[in-house]
Amino acid sequence: MANKRKTFLFIWIITAVVCLFLFLKYASPKIFQVLMGKGHPMPTPSTLMMWYMIMGVLAGLVYATTSNQKFVDFLSFLLPDQGPRIKFFLQKIIFVGFPVLVGWFVYTWSIPGAASPVELRIQHPTLPQDFEKLENPFRQADADTQRRCIEEGKILFQTYCRPCHGSKADGNGPFANSFRLRPINFQDPGTIATVVDNYLFWRIKEGGPGLPSESTPWDSGMPSWKDDLKDDDIWKIIMGEYDTAGVMPRQREKLE
Amino acid sequence: MNNLKILLQLTKRSAFVVVLLFFLSLALPMPSSQNVIAGDVLAEEVKEGGGVELPQFEAGQSPVSPQSPEGQPAEGAEAGVAGGEEEEMAPVQYRAFFGMDSRTVVWIVSELHLMFAAFVLGVPIFAVIVEIVGFKGGDIKYDKMAKEFTKLLSAAFATTASLGGLLGFCLFGLYPEFMGHMTNVFAPTMYVYALMFFGEAFTLYAYYYSWEILKGTAARKWFHITLGVLLNLFGTGLMFLTNSWATYMMSPAGIVPATGKVLSLYHAFYNPLWMPVNIHRLIANVCFGGFVVGAYAAVKFLGAKTEEEKAHYDWMGYVGNFIGVGALIPLPFAGYWLGREVYSASPVMGNIMMGGAFSWTFIIQAILIGMLFIGANYYLWLGMGRIRGSERYTKFIKYLVFVIFMCFAVWLTPHNLPLSGEERAMIGEQYHPFSKYFGVMAAKNAVVNLIILSTFFSFLIYRRSNKGEMVPFSEQGRAGKIGIFSVLIFCLLMLVSYAISLNFVELEANIKVFVKPLIRALYIQSFAVCLAVFLTFKNRGKLAQAMLFGVTACIAVLYFWYYGFEVMQKANLVLRYLSVTQVSIVMSCLIMNAVIDIFMFRKAKLVGGIAWGKMPVRSQYALILLCVVIVILMGLMGFIRSGLRMDWHIYGVLQDTSQWAYTPTLAFMGRIVGLIVALFLGLVTFVFWLANLGEKKEKGVLKEGCELAEPHPEH
Repeated sequence: MANKRKTFLFIWIITAVVCLFLFLKYASPKIFQVLMGKGHPMPTPSTLMMWYMIMGVLAGLVYATTSNQKFVDFLSFLLPDQGPRIKFFLQKIIFVGFPVLVGWFVYTWSIPGAASPVELRIQHPTLPQDFEKLENPFRQADADTQRRCIEEGKILFQTYCRPCHGSKADGNGPFANSFRLRPINFQDPGTIATVVDNYLFWRIKEGGPGLPSESTPWDSGMPSWKDDLKDDDIWKIIMGEYDTAGVMPRQREKLE
Repeated sequence: MNNLKILLQLTKRSAFVVVLLFFLSLALPMPSSQNVIAGDVLAEEVKEGGGVELPQFEAGQSPVSPQSPEGQPAEGAEAGVAGGEEEEMAPVQYRAFFGMDSRTVVWIVSELHLMFAAFVLGVPIFAVIVEIVGFKGGDIKYDKMAKEFTKLLSAAFATTASLGGLLGFCLFGLYPEFMGHMTNVFAPTMYVYALMFFGEAFTLYAYYYSWEILKGTAARKWFHITLGVLLNLFGTGLMFLTNSWATYMMSPAGIVPATGKVLSLYHAFYNPLWMPVNIHRLIANVCFGGFVVGAYAAVKFLGAKTEEEKAHYDWMGYVGNFIGVGALIPLPFAGYWLGREVYSASPVMGNIMMGGAFSWTFIIQAILIGMLFIGANYYLWLGMGRIRGSERYTKFIKYLVFVIFMCFAVWLTPHNLPLSGEERAMIGEQYHPFSKYFGVMAAKNAVVNLIILSTFFSFLIYRRSNKGEMVPFSEQGRAGKIGIFSVLIFCLLMLVSYAISLNFVELEANIKVFVKPLIRALYIQSFAVCLAVFLTFKNRGKLAQAMLFGVTACIAVLYFWYYGFEVMQKANLVLRYLSVTQVSIVMSCLIMNAVIDIFMFRKAKLVGGIAWGKMPVRSQYALILLCVVIVILMGLMGFIRSGLRMDWHIYGVLQDTSQWAYTPTLAFMGRIVGLIVALFLGLVTFVFWLANLGEKKEKGVLKEGCELAEPHPEH
């Protein structure tokens, strides 16, 4: 009896893979909607879905082949045998269902449709050498001056940056929805907290038009502010921006 | 006889190739000779001027018009109108390799050289260790295997040297100005390099060819082992020397950047990235050597005709995998340290690496590292099939598969996902939660530590498979107590001393508060290690191990995953201390649990021995896959390390103004790395085949007398 049960390893692995698919497709968008307090589900991106499914299938195959006995059990499900009726029934489902599934995939991938292309984004464009050695002149000032610069910077941020980046620097400004790629949420720990503040100086000063030729095409609606803002104002905006977002710029480390 | 014929044929063909090359060299024009002389004349003039001042390079200077090969300005440039005589005197910046892209030529040759060098430097480290183990344990099989490793080594050594020579010629020929700079800075170390190379060659051949002569007495054997140690010292010294040249190109020091004038050779040599690269390469070489040897054993296993041969190569493959995994475990820590120092040396280079143009190469790296861990674990799980008694532990495999694949999924999730416009609109913000929480370094560090803990657990159940019930610790005698106490003291020293040192780090008060949780975590782990020892002494060793695994996973994986986010946002300077804390905690768990396991099962009865050679064929393909993956990984990481300099020969000092000064696309990189991998695997197969030619003949003659005994059942 025990051996007969083991011959269902094939089915168990298929069940696990299907469960993974259902989780990624239906459960996780809802779970994230609740956890993040969103008004809409957060669908799993197709690329990630594909990667995770490949890993799920791979994990199943790895497990099924970790011993000769498991491998035999795994394959035995597909062989005609005097098993219980349920096995006979499931075999038929697999023999019919698998080609249908493959056909469905082929059909959905090959039918003509309109979709914007998937892009490989680069998070941090390469900072030009001219900007690498710059220092924020107000970071070394006394505490009162720094506080004053932050407050001035916050006002400038609300004046110039808020429409897109939002009053809380969370990327939810009034214009945010009009962009294909939404403005960056600076509160996210993976954004401005990971770069030194002269990086921001470059991005504000040069904007989208000043992005380097490497890793093109860029998808940035960021304007260039060099004709509108003085350098000191840009440094103040940076200080105000970090303060508003509640994060700190990456600090230069001493070499060990 | 057949081999003799083959050799004769090879000799004839080689002679033909040499004659062909000779005629080709006569037929080909030698356009660069005049320029070389011109360059030499200029160098002489510089010398007469006194000092070691180099050609002037302004830091941050905008690139001059791209130069075509032979140092001539690109088409349309006005400089082309210079008079004939002046042209002859102009120093040559770049040459082309028979019309090919010089950068790609140097890339391929240097990577091939590095791969062979990694093998040649990594294998002697474990060959000597295996020899010592065999000598101390009195098991001749270890000695035989160590000699077999060294046989492969001596075969690969000549190829490494040839490729090194070719690389030198390519660099001096194709990039004369750059190499002029390097020679001016590093000339004294180059002589030392040559001398050490002699040392390496002499000790290697002495080590290999004196193997049989220096057998018999303990004194002779120790002398032989000393030769092996010397070989390692010379090899490591050579690598450290060349590393200083390579890392100087990334983080130059000890010179005046504007003029290139040498101020301190010591600082140029001991530049900021030198030691991180040394450590990383040292460990990676062992890992590389282990997996290549594992693949060699797998190929031999697949072609084995007898059960004895199968048993021998199965064992050898196991040892290769063991060495590869053993070195793979600390490798992410060393890599992380190197990455941090790259950030410290230049935040721009750091951003290019992890968030910029090279970020996608790290996704490929994540896939490759994941494959290494999965492949190594898979091999161990399959290996349990040949151990009678392993049935008691196979139930854990499904959980390990689950945990490792979950970690792998997090490990390769990018922060920036490829999204279509529709998906972006549906998600409603820039980052999907998966990429937001799995895509940053805090998550990656957490899961890589969990993968390491899981791999270690796989190894523990593998080594227990052959053991019966554990012997109570109270019956282990003084050795057990002293052993566990020594390790306890080591772990406490590591954890507590680091915790104390964290109290004195120089940080601003608002940042220093973020260090406190790290100190608390170190003390909690110290307490857990003490408790584990206490439980072991009370004959509850298994509980002690489980408790230590649990505490470590809670702190180093779960808590630091969360806390990493916190620190990332508010105090990036603390990330450095967080990662060291994480490493220390995980290492203390691995070391203590390993020692507890050794003493718990030291006198345990063997359940049924290991049936060496009874491995499914797919396990051998797993070994071959591991080798291919580590070779691809080394090719990829070589590209990243070198490519981070973007369009600089020497970052921020000497700009690459050649027509090849651009970062290749991922597709181009993939093709070249693929070519390098194919070339390396092809060459290494050929070299190993050559190394075995003599052995076949020997076996044919001595077949009757030679007996390949079973490897030791304990392993």
